[in-house]
Amino acid sequence: MYKRAGFEPVWCKGCGNYAVLTALIKVFEELELNPADIVITSGIGCSGRFSHYLNVYSLHGTHGRAIPAAIGVKAARPKLTVLSVSGDGDATGIGGGHLPHAARRNPDLTSLILDNNTYALTKGQVSPMTPEGTRTKTTPYGSGDDPLDILPMLLVYNTSFVANTSSSNMKELILLLKEAILHRGFSIVRIFSPCVTYPVLSWQTLKEQLSPLPEHYSPTDKMAALQMAYCREPVYTGVLFKQRKPTMEEKIQQEIQMACTLEHADGRKYTPLEIMQSYL
Amino acid sequence: MIFTVCKIYNSVYISSKGMRKSTFQSVTDAIIRIAGEGGEGVISCGELLAQAAARTAYHVFTFVTYPAEMRGGYAMIQIRLRDWTIYSLGSKVDCLVVFNQQAFDRSVEDLKQGGTLIYDPEFVDPGEGENFRKVPVPFTEIAKKEAGTNRVKNIVLLGVLGRLYAIDKKILLDLIKRRYRTKGEESYLLNNKALSAGYKAVPKPGDHTFVNLSVKEKQEEHYMLLSGNEAVALGAIAAGCRFIASYPITPATGIFETLTRLMPCVGGAALQMEDEIASLASAIGASFAGEKVLVPTSGPGLQLMAEQISLASMVELPIVLIDVQRGGPSTGLPTKTEQSDMNFAVYGGAGDSPRLVLAPTSVEDSFYQTIRAFNLAERYQIPVIVLLDQSIGYRKATVRMPDVDKIFEVESSIARTKVKIPHADYINLVKRLAPSEKELFDYRRYKLTEDGVSPIASPGTPGGQYCSTGLEHTEYGKPDYSPRNHLAMSKKRQRKMEVISRSFDNNPLEAYGKPDAKIGIIGWGSTEGAIREARHLAEKEGVHVRHLHPHTISPLPVRQVSQFLVRLRQLIVVEENLSGQFAKYIKALFGVEPIRIYKCEGVPITPEEIYRGIMKVSRIVNEEYITNV
Repeated sequence: MYKRAGFEPVWCKGCGNYAVLTALIKVFEELELNPADIVITSGIGCSGRFSHYLNVYSLHGTHGRAIPAAIGVKAARPKLTVLSVSGDGDATGIGGGHLPHAARRNPDLTSLILDNNTYALTKGQVSPMTPEGTRTKTTPYGSGDDPLDILPMLLVYNTSFVANTSSSNMKELILLLKEAILHRGFSIVRIFSPCVTYPVLSWQTLKEQLSPLPEHYSPTDKMAALQMAYCREPVYTGVLFKQRKPTMEEKIQQEIQMACTLEHADGRKYTPLEIMQSYL
Repeated sequence: MIFTVCKIYNSVYISSKGMRKSTFQSVTDAIIRIAGEGGEGVISCGELLAQAAARTAYHVFTFVTYPAEMRGGYAMIQIRLRDWTIYSLGSKVDCLVVFNQQAFDRSVEDLKQGGTLIYDPEFVDPGEGENFRKVPVPFTEIAKKEAGTNRVKNIVLLGVLGRLYAIDKKILLDLIKRRYRTKGEESYLLNNKALSAGYKAVPKPGDHTFVNLSVKEKQEEHYMLLSGNEAVALGAIAAGCRFIASYPITPATGIFETLTRLMPCVGGAALQMEDEIASLASAIGASFAGEKVLVPTSGPGLQLMAEQISLASMVELPIVLIDVQRGGPSTGLPTKTEQSDMNFAVYGGAGDSPRLVLAPTSVEDSFYQTIRAFNLAERYQIPVIVLLDQSIGYRKATVRMPDVDKIFEVESSIARTKVKIPHADYINLVKRLAPSEKELFDYRRYKLTEDGVSPIASPGTPGGQYCSTGLEHTEYGKPDYSPRNHLAMSKKRQRKMEVISRSFDNNPLEAYGKPDAKIGIIGWGSTEGAIREARHLAEKEGVHVRHLHPHTISPLPVRQVSQFLVRLRQLIVVEENLSGQFAKYIKALFGVEPIRIYKCEGVPITPEEIYRGIMKVSRIVNEEYITNV
């Protein structure tokens, strides 16, 4: 029902993205969402194709703009379930400038960052998440730059829901994606999704480094969340932080109400005629 | 002399549409200039006066010069009142109002012989000159005495002008109330006092020096006083646009500001995004969701949006972009006017990415061309770029309010053959073509059709789920890079341009001037008024010129332009840029070498400048071998 007929994934065998696709379909099933009421936007890269394979309204746009496009969809049609899918390069490289502003605006949409620590579609160049010292096609002598610390970044931006997980843990993936979609506000799930062809990040490392957050961890304290987010040994997975704050759609509705009750006691909307008459 | 000019105007304009504010009996053409220092309320005083004048039978046109600084510096507003459509600012001033000596010194040379000077004797010494009538009014002192503060001296002055121009005080009070409604009751009372004091400060004029602006009868037609930017904003609201995203940029910010205020009033959304790319990206998202969207910007912003314009072309979504052009390149002259974004608007993009480019010619035209832009975008599922420029965006003029009972929504299928260019008496709003139930059974979003337009399903429509991608795709939206598919899909997208160009035959372009004239002028955008006036100046000298002013720059109505060109000996292209963007475009399309009259100084070209060019060309028009001057 949620798989798009006639579209076969072009990803390599063993790519982490398959697991994310399977998990998302499972979540849609569990939430019994109507596929016609779902919009998925995506950018460029292997992750860009993600939106193709689901039988929903898919908008596969330009590099780095999956989130602004999703914001437009949500602002125009608040009732739709909106997701955006990006890779690490799409979300934090070319599209990195959109993250803080999306977090401030807080649209009720879910953004997946499929992180493989590299530019895979263009065949293995350095990404903002590539660990220091890594040799790639564009860093033949090793990458000299610090990798971005995406989780603390998102927390500092005041993103209303931040989760970290991996495509190697299907159970957790389903759980977190579901929670993110149900969360009211801007939710970001960073998913480690290793590339098998350009393995900057390997399944093996994931297995060794990842660990679920402590059992009694409460995702409401931002300082605690920051501490967890900075931790390298282990790298924690789970919901690091969530908070409820007014969403973009609620703010737009509030604006409409404020504008309409200014002169209309019943709060009805203005007709174009009334607007034009105010310029006579 | 003046009267004969008017007669020519009369005979020409009565026949054309949208220009009949009243059947005129008298000949009125009055220019009022108020000048002073920024921050003294010069502009608000003038705008209130202009608004009051717009409620009468006269057409109003204003031009504002803001100082570059927030406070201080020369600020000026000039208001022209006339019986019929006004195309330019005019030349000499009938009534000059000055706040200080500097304003007097800078403006006095523009005062007409026998005109009136109104000044504050406390700050201005008008000297010994006898060429004009002097009316000293100590409005600063009056403000202090009657209202207790000199902050409202501009309102005292407004009262003085209200008395001299016989404006009903109630109208001005009403306008003041609306303008300052957020400032509270106290401020209103203060303004009321100041206004009354102004009315008392001068006697009722006995002669006919001042135009009578008392509203005598109820107007059948209503006129809004709008800046070009406001006209775009209201046009968008009238067209049913309910989403705007933008990033502030001079001189387009006025559209954005107006719509951030108005969108919530009509239940729409207005987003200030983090940059221009995000603005257009979110607009594409909203259009994908089924909304009519507007994105205003200026040249530098348009450049940033290029990738998204290509995307909209590729995924075939309707979007309307407004480019209020300013002087370039780069940051250039942010507050000055120029027509130099045409190349970028027409060609700027990776790959063949068809888009429509429109160019309104006046404030009123901006209102209707914006509505037309939405119709074309929705009907052909294509990005539409509307090229205004700073001189239209900032100028204020009267715009006839359309009859809202005559705004009709029409299905896209009918729209293909029957939609007229919107005007005050009749506006069609085109609905997006949606798939039928049968089509949804095997839905092909990018179905190859005769005119290149295929039905769009909007999210929420069961069975309409489709993949919209910037990659080359099949009818189903599936990526496909095969040679055959790329050609077929490129042709599908390009076909729309041909269909649009052909459809212009249903809406013939009006050419002005004597049909057998040997000299032709083509201009675009805001130069229309200046060209018209230049043509009349030349006609007075016995030189006839034929004038064509297409509203659609790309695709040009090729057949109609060819018919226009075929009778000419010389073609002049008028435009406000140095490189001759439009002239080269005409040359590329029609193989003719136009003579160029251009201006690249950040200010609008004047009728006299064009007139001089015409006269030069007329001297060589019969010489065989001269192709350029």
